[in-house]
Amino acid sequence: MKTPRNIFKGSIRPPDNDSAFILHPHKRGVPNVGRMAHYRDDDEVDMLIVGCGAGGGVLSQRLARRGWRVVVLERGPFWDPDRDWVSDEAGSHKLYWTDKRIVGGSDPVQMGKNNSGHGVGGSMVHYAGYTPRFHPSDFETYTRDGVGADWPISYWDLKEHYERCEAELPVAGQHWPWGDPHGYPMGPHPIGGSAEVAWKGAEDCGIEMRVGPVAITNGAFGNRPHCIYRGFCLEACKVNAKGSPLITHVPDAIEHGAEIRADCMAIRVEYDESAGRVTGVTYLRDGQEHFQRAAAVAVAGYSIETPRLLLNSKSARFPNGLANSNDQVGRYVMVQGASQTAARFAEPMHMYKAPPPEVSSEQFYETDESRGFARGFSIQTVSPMPIGWSEHVIADGHWGYALREYMRDYIHWTVLGVLNELLPHPENRVTLTDEPDQYGMPIPRFDYSQSDNDRANIAYSKKVIQDIWEHADAQDTLTIDRYAHLVGGCRMGDDPDESVVNSDHQSWEVPNLFITDGSVMPTQGSANPALTIMALASRLADRLTSKRVDAQGLRAVPSG
Amino acid sequence: MAKHFRSGDAGHLPNQRKSGGIGPPDELPRQRRGTTPQMYGRYPDWDVLSQQGHWDIVTRNVVLDRVQKVPPFRFFNEEERRTLKAFSDRVTAQDKEPRIPVMSMVDAKLDAGELDGYQFAGMPDDRDVWRIVARGLDETAREAGGHDFASLSEEAQRQIVGRMADGELEGGSWEELDVSKAWSVVTRHILSAFYSHPWAWNEIGFGGPAYPRGYAAFGVGTKEHWEPDPAFDVDPVTDTQDRGLE
Ligand SMILES: Cc1cc2nc3c(=O)[nH]c(=O)nc-3n(C[C@H](O)[C@H](O)[C@H](O)COP(=O)(O)OP(=O)(O)OC[C@H]3O[C@@H](n4cnc5c(N)ncnc54)[C@H](O)[C@@H]3O)c2cc1C
Ligand code: SF4
Repeated sequence: MKTPRNIFKGSIRPPDNDSAFILHPHKRGVPNVGRMAHYRDDDEVDMLIVGCGAGGGVLSQRLARRGWRVVVLERGPFWDPDRDWVSDEAGSHKLYWTDKRIVGGSDPVQMGKNNSGHGVGGSMVHYAGYTPRFHPSDFETYTRDGVGADWPISYWDLKEHYERCEAELPVAGQHWPWGDPHGYPMGPHPIGGSAEVAWKGAEDCGIEMRVGPVAITNGAFGNRPHCIYRGFCLEACKVNAKGSPLITHVPDAIEHGAEIRADCMAIRVEYDESAGRVTGVTYLRDGQEHFQRAAAVAVAGYSIETPRLLLNSKSARFPNGLANSNDQVGRYVMVQGASQTAARFAEPMHMYKAPPPEVSSEQFYETDESRGFARGFSIQTVSPMPIGWSEHVIADGHWGYALREYMRDYIHWTVLGVLNELLPHPENRVTLTDEPDQYGMPIPRFDYSQSDNDRANIAYSKKVIQDIWEHADAQDTLTIDRYAHLVGGCRMGDDPDESVVNSDHQSWEVPNLFITDGSVMPTQGSANPALTIMALASRLADRLTSKRVDAQGLRAVPSG
Repeated sequence: MAKHFRSGDAGHLPNQRKSGGIGPPDELPRQRRGTTPQMYGRYPDWDVLSQQGHWDIVTRNVVLDRVQKVPPFRFFNEEERRTLKAFSDRVTAQDKEPRIPVMSMVDAKLDAGELDGYQFAGMPDDRDVWRIVARGLDETAREAGGHDFASLSEEAQRQIVGRMADGELEGGSWEELDVSKAWSVVTRHILSAFYSHPWAWNEIGFGGPAYPRGYAAFGVGTKEHWEPDPAFDVDPVTDTQDRGLE
C-alpha cells in the first residue's frame, strides 16, 4: 500500500534536519561554509570524526544538533558542485580515492572509481543512489542459515533510523514488498528504455521488479531541484538532486556549529597509556603535521582506510595497532558480487539517459535451499557511460575492430547487474605493506578470495539475469564479472574476542574510540550499503546524546 | 549467449557473425559533420561539439581542452612512443587518420601520476607496467623477425596483440609481470582515453555532457529532437560516390 504522503510531489520537511532548506536555490555549493565554526587544535572538542562520508557526515549533524562540539577531518576537498564537478566521465577522476592500494588474494578486487571516494560527502558523492534497507534476516544470518555472523543489534533497532534517513535523503520509489515492507517519502521516478525492457523480461519469467528506491528528488525538496534525468549520477550530481551527506547533512551540521575541516589527512589516533583513552588525532594539512585534541574520536574512513588508520596507530599498549589486541582489525572485509549482463535490442535504449539506478528486485534476497547455497542476491539496472561500456566490451574479450563495432552499437544496449551477498571470511582482510605513501603512511593491502558458497551464488544469479534478457527478446548479450561496495573490517559484535566494537560502535579496549562507517558491518546482505551506514550512525548519535552509551567512555559528555 | 535472437538486426555484431574475423567497417558511411576516428561511424551527421552551447562552462572547458590541447609527450621516450602508438592503434583499430591521440593522453596521465588507485599484488607500479609492455612488445616483434613492434605489418602486430589479450606472451620482459593483468592495466588506460574523446562520441551516437539541459525523452525508441539518427543502412559505396568523395 502506498502511504498517503506520496500524493505530495514536493517536500516533506524532516523535523530535525534543515539541510535542504539551507542550500541555495540556484547555487549548488553549501552556502554556510563561510560562517563555519573553527576550533583550535588545542581545543578539546567533544567528538572528533575522521571522514565526512555516509557515516561521518550523519554523525556530525546529529551530534552538532544536540550541542556537541564536533570537528570532522576529511582528506578530500570541500566540493562545490558548480565549480568542481563536470558532466563528463573521464573528468570525474578526481572524485575517487586513487591512492595506491595493493590488491591480492585469489579473487582480487579492483579499487579506485569502483569503490571509494573522498572529499566532503565521501563515496556517496559518486555512488549510484540506490538506497534499499537491509532485511531483518541480515542481522541474524548465523542463527537462520548457519553462515556469516549475527549482529549485536536487530533490524528493529535501526528501523526508526532508516525512516529518518529516508526522509532526509529523500528516497523515491514504489512501495517495497520485500524484507520489512515499507513505503517511501517520494513517489517513483519515470523510467527509461533500459528499465522498461528489463521489467518486461523479468515479468515474463515471474520476477517482480519495483521502481527505486533511489535517493533522488522527485519534485522539489527544500531548495534542492528535481532530477533532470541526465544520467551522470556516478560522476556526482551537479543538480543537487541526488542525495549525499554534502547536501543532506553537512549544511545542517555547520549551521549547528560543526567544523568540517577538509583537505586534512588523519595519520594516527593518539593513545594515552596512563588514562587508557585516546586523546585526539594527528593529521596532515598542506604537508604540516597537526594534532587535534578531542574527548572522543569516531573513525569513519570506510572499510580500507578505517582499519588502516587503526593499524597505523601503534603504541606500547597496542603494538599491532589501536584496539587490535585480538587481531580483529582489518578482518572480514566484504564486497558484493556485481556481475553484469548487457543486452542488445532492436530499438534504441539510450542507456546513458535517466539515472542508472532505476528498477530493482529483491525476490532472490533470502536463502532458498533448492538453489544450493546460503543467502541470495538482488537485481538492479546499471547503465554505463561510454568508458564503462568499453570496459564491459573488452572484458568480454573484444578489442580492435570488434571493440569498435560493439561500441558503435552503444545506444542499442542496456545492462542489468546483480548484487550477491558474499560471506565474511577472516582472511579477507586489510593489512599494511612496508611501502610508504605520500603521507609517510604504509600503503594498505587488501586480500580477497571467494568461498564455494560465493561462487555458487554468483553463478546462479548470472543465469537469472541472462534468463530475464532472453525473455525480453535480447538479440545478443555480454556478461562480465565484477564486484561492488565494500563493508566490514572492524566489525561489531557481542564477543570481545571476535569483534572490534560493541553494539554502540565503541572499541572493546578503548572506551572513547568509536567506529561509525561501513566497516562495522558483520555481514552485508545484498542491499547497497549506504542507507544502512547512515542509519547506524544516526542510531549511535541517538544513544550518545541520550547518554545510553556506557558513561565511562565519555569524559565530558555535554548535556543536550 | 541469448538464444532467442530476432532475425537480422544484430547480425553485424562480432559474436553474431557467421564468418570468423572482423575487419575495417568498410560498409559504414563516411562522416559528413564533425570528426570521428577514421571518419566513419553510424551517425554521419552527428557532431556532439555542436551542442557545446548547452553545456555548463566547467564541463565545456574540460571537454574542449581534451580536443584542442593535445598534451606533449613527457613520460615515454622516443622508442616507447613508437611502439606504444602502434600498439594502441591496433587495440582501438585506428588504422588511419584522423586518430584520437590516445598515447599522448595516456602519457599525460602517467606523467601526472593520475593512476587508478590499485595495483595487483606481485605486479609493478602501473607506470612500470607500461614500460615493460613496450619492451616486451619489441622483444616479441624481434622474435617474429622484425626490427621492433612498430615496423611489423599491421597483421603481424595484431597477432601479437591477440596473444597478449589471451595472456600468452612469455619470455624476456614478459616474465616480469602477469601478462593478463598487464593487458587489463594498459587497455583500461587506452579505453578511458579513447572513449573520453568527443570524436569517439560522434562515432557511437553518445549525447555527451548533459548539464544543465538534461533529458526529457528516455523511453524505448524515443530521442530528443537534437539527438542523431543512426544511418546504418546507408550504402557506403553509393554514399561516397554521391558526395564525390571517391
Ligand atoms: C561507483 C559507486 C557506486 C555506488 N553505488 C551505491 C549505491 O547505489 N547505493 C549504496 O548504498 N551505496 C553505493 N556505493 C557505496 C557507498 O557509496 C558506500 O558504501 C558508502 O558511501 C560508505 O560510507 P562510509 O561512511 O563507510 O565511507 P565513505 O562514504 O567512503 O566516507 C569515508 C570518508 O573518509 C575519508 N577518509 C578516509 N580516510 C581518511 C583519513 N585518514 N583522514 C581523513 N579522511 C579520511 C574519505 O576521504 C571519505 O570521504 C557506491 C560506491 C561507489 C564507489
Ligand atoms: S540523473 Fe538526476 S540524480 Fe542523476 S546526476 Fe542527473 S540530475 Fe542528478
